Amino acid sequence: MEFNPCVKHQLIRKIAREFSENEIKPQVAELDRDARFPHDIIEKMKPLNFFGLQAPKHLGGAGLDSISYAIVVEEVSRVSAALGLCVTVHNSVGIYPILKFGTQEQIERFVPAMAAGDSIGAFCLTEANAGSDAGGVETTARKVQDGYVIDGTKIFVTNGGVAGTILVFAVTEDEKKSANVFIVEDDRPGFSVGEIEDLCGMRANPVSSLFFEDCRVPDENLLGKSGQGLKIGLTGLDTGRIGIAAQALGIAQAAFEDSVAYAKERQQFNQPISRFQTIQNYLADMATQIDAARLLVYRAADYKDRNLPFSAQASMAKLYCSDTARKVTDMAVQIHGGYGYSKEYDVERYFRDAKVTQIYEGTSEVQRMVIARNILTQPS
Amino acid sequence: MKMFKILVCIKQVPMVSELPWDSKTGTLKRELAQGMMDPSSRRALEAGLQIKETRAELGEKTQIIVLSMGPPMAMEILYQAKSLGADKGILLSDRAMAGADTFLTSFILARFIKKEVPDVDLVLCGSQTSDSETGQVGPQLAEELSIPAIGYAADIQLQGQMVRVHRHVDDFFEVLEMDLPGLVTIDQAAYTPRYAAFGGVQDAFETADIIQVDARRLGLDENFNAVKDSPTRIVDVYSPTTRKENRVLKGTAKAVVDQLFEDYGKIISSAMGKDLKGQGEKI
Repeated sequence: MEFNPCVKHQLIRKIAREFSENEIKPQVAELDRDARFPHDIIEKMKPLNFFGLQAPKHLGGAGLDSISYAIVVEEVSRVSAALGLCVTVHNSVGIYPILKFGTQEQIERFVPAMAAGDSIGAFCLTEANAGSDAGGVETTARKVQDGYVIDGTKIFVTNGGVAGTILVFAVTEDEKKSANVFIVEDDRPGFSVGEIEDLCGMRANPVSSLFFEDCRVPDENLLGKSGQGLKIGLTGLDTGRIGIAAQALGIAQAAFEDSVAYAKERQQFNQPISRFQTIQNYLADMATQIDAARLLVYRAADYKDRNLPFSAQASMAKLYCSDTARKVTDMAVQIHGGYGYSKEYDVERYFRDAKVTQIYEGTSEVQRMVIARNILTQPS
Repeated sequence: MKMFKILVCIKQVPMVSELPWDSKTGTLKRELAQGMMDPSSRRALEAGLQIKETRAELGEKTQIIVLSMGPPMAMEILYQAKSLGADKGILLSDRAMAGADTFLTSFILARFIKKEVPDVDLVLCGSQTSDSETGQVGPQLAEELSIPAIGYAADIQLQGQMVRVHRHVDDFFEVLEMDLPGLVTIDQAAYTPRYAAFGGVQDAFETADIIQVDARRLGLDENFNAVKDSPTRIVDVYSPTTRKENRVLKGTAKAVVDQLFEDYGKIISSAMGKDLKGQGEKI
C-alpha cells in the first residue's frame, strides 16, 4: 500500500495549481460577484486538455487515470469551485457516458469536439417533480419515423447556459415507459435555454433550465440501447460523484489554507490567534477531515481504474467530502470572525459554494441510501 | 538532413519562499523543500521549444535534450520538460556529486556533454536560478566545453550554423552573432513559458526517455567528493531584506534640500563603498 503520490500525480497537481493560481484566481471574486462564465479562461484551458481529461488520446483527450482527474478537479476547485464544477460535469457526466455506452459512431461524432472543449457537456435529469427520484421524470420521448421527439423541461442544469452536447434523461412514450438518455445538440430546433439561475454559490457556472419542445433527434442520438437509461444515469452519477467529491475537497483545502494563514497573522490579546487552543483545535479538525476525505476520493478513483465496483466507494467519498467542505468552510468563517462574513475575504465564497456539494449529483441522503443498499446486499 | 541538437540545462529549485537552510554547512536542505523547475530554466526550455517549432515549420528536425543535476526527486522536472515537448531527459545524480558548487557543477555537466552529446549544436541555460542566483553555471559551462557564449538573450534566431541574439543592455538593444556550437543564457524576462498539457504529461510517462546517470558512468574518480572538491566556501547565506523608511525633513527650503542631498549622498556612498563628499563641487 502506497500513500505518497507518484511523480506523475505530483506533476499533474503542480500544473493544475499553477494554471489555476495564475489564470483563474485574478478573476475569481469578480466572476462570483457578476455571476459571469469566463469564456476567456475557458479558451486558455482548452489546449491543456481540461475538457478531455480522461478521453482517449486518439480522440483529442489526455488519457489520464481517475486519480489524476480527481487531482485536476480538486486544484481547479481550490481556486474556483464554479469552474471546477464545469470541468467535472463536462468530463464525468458529459463525456464519460458517451465513451462507456455510446456506439463507435457516436463516440467519433461527439467526443472529439467535447474533448477539445469546443462543445461543453451537460447532463439533465432533474425536473420540477423529479430529482433524487429518477422515476418521477416527466420529460417524454415519442418515437417517430427515424427518430424521437422530446418534450419536457429540465431544471438546475449545470453548464446549461453554455452546453453544446446535452445528455437528456427522458421516458419513452410506449407500453414499457422505459427510461432513455438522448444526446441533444444545442442547435436542434425545439431546444432552448432558460434564464441563468441566481444561486447562492457556484455563481460563475451558468446553471439554467433547458426546454425541449417538439425537439426532434434522429435514432442515432439515442445513447446505448433502448431502455438503458437508468443504467447510464446511475453509472454516470457514480463517476460524477468522484468528481464532486474532489470538487468539495478543493473547496475545503482552500478554506483550510486561508484559515492557517489568517490564524498566524491575526493578532488578538497581543498575540496571533493561532496561539489559542480553540483555534488550534479548529485547524487540527480541519486538517484531519480533509486528509480522510482525500483518501476516500483516491480510493474511489483507484477502484474505478481497476474496474472494481466503485458505486459505494464513490458515494462514501462524495458524502464525506461534501460534509467536510461544509464543516471546514464553517470553521474557516468562524476563524476569520467578522472578516469571514465579508466579501473582502474568500472564505465567504467557499462557505456559499460548499453547501450545494451536499445537494447535487445525489444529495447526502441519497448517498447514504446507496451506501446502505450496498452494505445490505452484500453476502454476509 | 542532420538533426539539430539543442541541449537545455534545467534545475530543480525549492518552491517555498522560506528556504530550509542547513546552518552548519550553508547548503540547502533540499529533501525538505517542495521542488519545482527553476523559472529561469523554464524560459531556456521555452526558447528551445520555440526554435524547434520554427524549424519544424520549415520541415527541419530538432532534438531537445534536457540535462539536470540533482537528487533523484529532480526526475520530476525532466518529466515536466518532456510534457512540454523535450525529446529526452538526463538526470546526473549521485551522492558523490551532491553539494557541488557552480565550478564543479559546470565541470560535471560538461563532462556529460563531451562524453554523450559531443555533437550538440546549441546549449541553452537560464541566466540565473531562483535559489542561488549566481549566474555562473552557463558561462562556466561554455568555458569547460570550449565554445562561445552569449548571456541574457531576449530573442534567438537561428541562421544555419549561426545564431543571431538580441539582448537588452541598459536602454538599448544589442544584436550579436555567434557561430555554433555555442551556449546562450536566456534573460529572465524573455520567452514566457507555456503550460504543459495534461496529454503531454501522460505521454511523458508512457514514453519515458529519461535516464539517470551516476558518477561512475561519467567516469569520475571513485574518490570524487563534490563537497570536498568544490573550491567555493560559503561564508554566509541569508535572505535579502529591503527596508522602507519615511522621514519628514523640516526647516527652510534650502536647509531641507541640503539635508536631502547629504543623506542621499551617504546612502549612495555606503552602497558604492566610496566617499562621494566633494564630488558634486568638481562637476
